[in-house]
Amino acid sequence: MIDAIKLEWLKIKNYRVFWILLGMYLFALTVIASGGVFFLEWLKSQGADFNGIDPTIVPIYDFPDIWQNMTYLGSYAKIFLAFIVIISVNNDVTYNTLRQNIIDGISKKSYLLSKLMFIALLASISTLFLFINGLITGSIYSHVWESRFIFDELEFLFAYFLDIVVYCSLAFLLALVIKKAGFVIVLLFLYSMMFEPILSAILTNAPYFRDTFWSELVAFFPVQSLNNLITVPFGRYVFMEIQDYIPFKTLAIALGWLVIYLWSVISILKRRDLK
Amino acid sequence: MARTLTINNLTKKFGRITAVNNLSLSIEQGQIFGILGPNGSGKTTTLGMILDVVAPTSGDYHWFSNTSNEEARKKIGAILESPSFYPYLTAVQNLKITAHIKKCDPAPIDEVLKQVNLYERRNDKFKTYSLGMKQRLSIAAALLSNPPVLILDEPTNGLDPEGIAEVRDLIVNVARQGKTIIMASHLLDEVQKVCTHFCVLRHGKKIHEGKVKDTLEELNKVEVSADYDHEHLKNLMYDFPGTEALESVDNSLLITLKPGFTASEINSHCFAEGVVLKRLITHTNTLEKEFLKILKDHD
Repeated sequence: MIDAIKLEWLKIKNYRVFWILLGMYLFALTVIASGGVFFLEWLKSQGADFNGIDPTIVPIYDFPDIWQNMTYLGSYAKIFLAFIVIISVNNDVTYNTLRQNIIDGISKKSYLLSKLMFIALLASISTLFLFINGLITGSIYSHVWESRFIFDELEFLFAYFLDIVVYCSLAFLLALVIKKAGFVIVLLFLYSMMFEPILSAILTNAPYFRDTFWSELVAFFPVQSLNNLITVPFGRYVFMEIQDYIPFKTLAIALGWLVIYLWSVISILKRRDLK
Repeated sequence: MARTLTINNLTKKFGRITAVNNLSLSIEQGQIFGILGPNGSGKTTTLGMILDVVAPTSGDYHWFSNTSNEEARKKIGAILESPSFYPYLTAVQNLKITAHIKKCDPAPIDEVLKQVNLYERRNDKFKTYSLGMKQRLSIAAALLSNPPVLILDEPTNGLDPEGIAEVRDLIVNVARQGKTIIMASHLLDEVQKVCTHFCVLRHGKKIHEGKVKDTLEELNKVEVSADYDHEHLKNLMYDFPGTEALESVDNSLLITLKPGFTASEINSHCFAEGVVLKRLITHTNTLEKEFLKILKDHD
């Protein structure tokens, strides 16, 4: 385990591209997750109002709601982490260092483990970063400041961690199958942001599919199933019912995808001839 | 002697092409084993399989005794055709990764870099290196863990004459330490100079296996010349009891000896007859001739 993580550490320690991307990601995460107030200010300046309510008084950074709100928003930034994973895997494929690592004496399982540890490390950094960010943002904007509220609903941080791990494992698999990093990045971006959401929207809303077997399938889609871990929380501010917990079924689907991705990676590694 | 590598009926098919066909080999500790064959005969594929980067279609292999393959690979230094390192890392940083994977002490990094003449450039990124320097870095990586087995695939490809000589010296030096070397090459001169044992592959099949020494001793030809009348020398050699056949080549004679006779007996024979030889060269068989013969026999 330690060996696996150290191998990845040696690979990225002096890799400037990695540090730049990570820095950009953490900056983006801060803006997306903690910049909500600025967004609400902007909405107000545009003349928006929610049923007569001034947008800037919406308590999006009150504990404990802040955790669901921030992890939901922060989850949008995970695609940058997936890019880092794609570049890391693609380096090993194009520089032939995956082959060299194996010749030098690690097994294909250890290679999988080292990349998985790398992904888990990225997810841990993000989760910790978001947690600290939440504490700081909350300390500025929250109207409640009691530890029983601050440390409530932390399961959303766990869901956020899992969301990243599963999504990055998908990126790992794609980078291994398709050897062109640029292509994988564009593909993953388009699929996550356009193809699957459009298909999901059609299946859920189109009269022909609505309330049929097909609309049930949406919950099993690779990206949608992860999005379902932390659903849009803002409905609560206009008195709509929202999913403010993590359903077991969603968790099981996400874990199912994780198993499928990792199993595919190991069977590709075992079967592929590296030259 | 301890067995280093056993290969049993190893086969690799790429679609309809059989790259390696039912290959069995065993390599003992201390041998310098050359795998010969024309381009595309399955040499590199074979090395790829025993290093676990090419999945065999059938058959198996095992290293040492009771060692898992990845543990065995930690004890093997491999120098394959294309050096593979992280281009954005320096020589030292790259070798640290090698040391980490092989679980060996990173302390000798400076030493091996000096050995391959890269010490001055040790803190430069790999991508700034010339091909020869890249090759030398892979030699350094292979030597780092002081492995008991060395695998070389076309080790002198892309090197300048100086580099070729260095690699050859290195192989001989490593071999002197009693280490096992497995080498794939189509350069027969190379194999002849350093190998003790060899096999020949063709279309993925092993068509010959033997000791280099035995193969080279088969032929026994001696070339002689002297500052005397050519005919006189010729008659003299007809009288020599060990002469099997005689042939004039330019100003010298090429004598094929009967079994059991040596060049020194020719020398004393001539000297006794009052003839001092100017030239006395024992011709040995070359692996190249033998190799071509083996290939022809299997046509």
